[in-house]
Amino acid sequence: MGAERDAHAGPMQSQVNWALLGLIVERPSYAYELAQRFERTFEGVLTLSSVSHVYTALAALRDRALIEELPGTRHGRQPKPHYRATAKGLEDYGQWLVGQVDEDLRRQQLFVLALARFIRDPHAALAILDRYEQACLAAARNTPLRSRDGERTGGGPALAVRLADEEKRLALGAKLAWVVYVRRELSASVGLGGAPQ
Amino acid sequence: MSLLELQGVAKRYREGQLERVVLHDVSLAINRGELTVVWGLRGCGRSTLLRIAAGIELPDEGVVRFDGRDLASCGDGVLGTGIGYCQKLLPSGSQLALDLVMTPLLASGLASAQARSRARESLERVGVLGCATMRLSALDTSETVRLALARVLAHEPQLVVVDDPVQGVELLQRDDLLALLRSLADEGIAVLASTVESTALSGADRTLTLSEGQLRGPPLRELAPVVALRRANARSAGA
Repeated sequence: MGAERDAHAGPMQSQVNWALLGLIVERPSYAYELAQRFERTFEGVLTLSSVSHVYTALAALRDRALIEELPGTRHGRQPKPHYRATAKGLEDYGQWLVGQVDEDLRRQQLFVLALARFIRDPHAALAILDRYEQACLAAARNTPLRSRDGERTGGGPALAVRLADEEKRLALGAKLAWVVYVRRELSASVGLGGAPQ
Repeated sequence: MSLLELQGVAKRYREGQLERVVLHDVSLAINRGELTVVWGLRGCGRSTLLRIAAGIELPDEGVVRFDGRDLASCGDGVLGTGIGYCQKLLPSGSQLALDLVMTPLLASGLASAQARSRARESLERVGVLGCATMRLSALDTSETVRLALARVLAHEPQLVVVDDPVQGVELLQRDDLLALLRSLADEGIAVLASTVESTALSGADRTLTLSEGQLRGPPLRELAPVVALRRANARSAGA
């Protein structure tokens, strides 16, 4: 997940690099400010190893022509060159966001394949499924209720947090429904059933 | 002692030659000041569970106790005053919101002025006093749910049972409605709700799932510290 100068490699893999590109797409910025915005925006989701991590990432983004220096921002005794996204940067960032659908599916498929290792021991699978379900319930329960006074219009961080929470809650609903389906299938395979019919 | 206790509850429905088990050996305890939400897919028996918990329907097996009394033997006496069952569907049409809340109060023997005053208080409590003189047909889904809550809260129940409160409620209004249920629990009322929406689990003290006739969730003993902390926070916020 670390920032890499992978200009000649294939698709950019670093989540940190993509996250930094997103911040630059949002508005042109310089390295130290980007580090601060990164910490505020992605707290608990992504971490920077240090501020120098940002410099490495910026170099990688520049090598790939995803960002460029904003003319006239490198001056004074302590120059703070600002970076902005290029047209290619905007395009690639959009593509990466859309590609998250495949990434989510891949992650979920990985989980199912891992769980399927218990296919010969349905009782163990059911026990894990119970715990997985409880974890989903706890995550949904602990998603905070939002007061929407003053948040109904406009954008900003409050809207971003609310959108993230909503996505999380809806995704958890899909997982809970999936658990019901798997439990039924596994129970039938060992003749447990749910309630006797 | 918990306010509401279900022990070994079973319920079956006959569909032609087949007997369908809706609830199988369901046990549940609900305390004052707790918001409990049961999640389940459509047709899983959520509404049946809630009707049994409210004493509207009797189980085929098992016992339901409210405040230590077996609901099977106390008849309709508890419903309304002890337990408020929030009807999902309200009469639509020309009736005024205030009248809908007032009518059962008048039927219970309150004088008109007293019933009107209490109905208005109840509407204010759930945030729809402004709708008092509106016809039911003019209310949106969220207001209709609040009105249904006002109707049961006017009787000062200890337990509020509400079936699928966020169904059909616009996403932006859901959290406001859930916050209302949360605040009722913080006031000391036991709230039991059901939902098919995972978005309606936020803010609950306890969440359970119902599938294949079985209720699953964390044991009550794991809940006690959470509820104690929440109550302490609610007290300090109110101080």
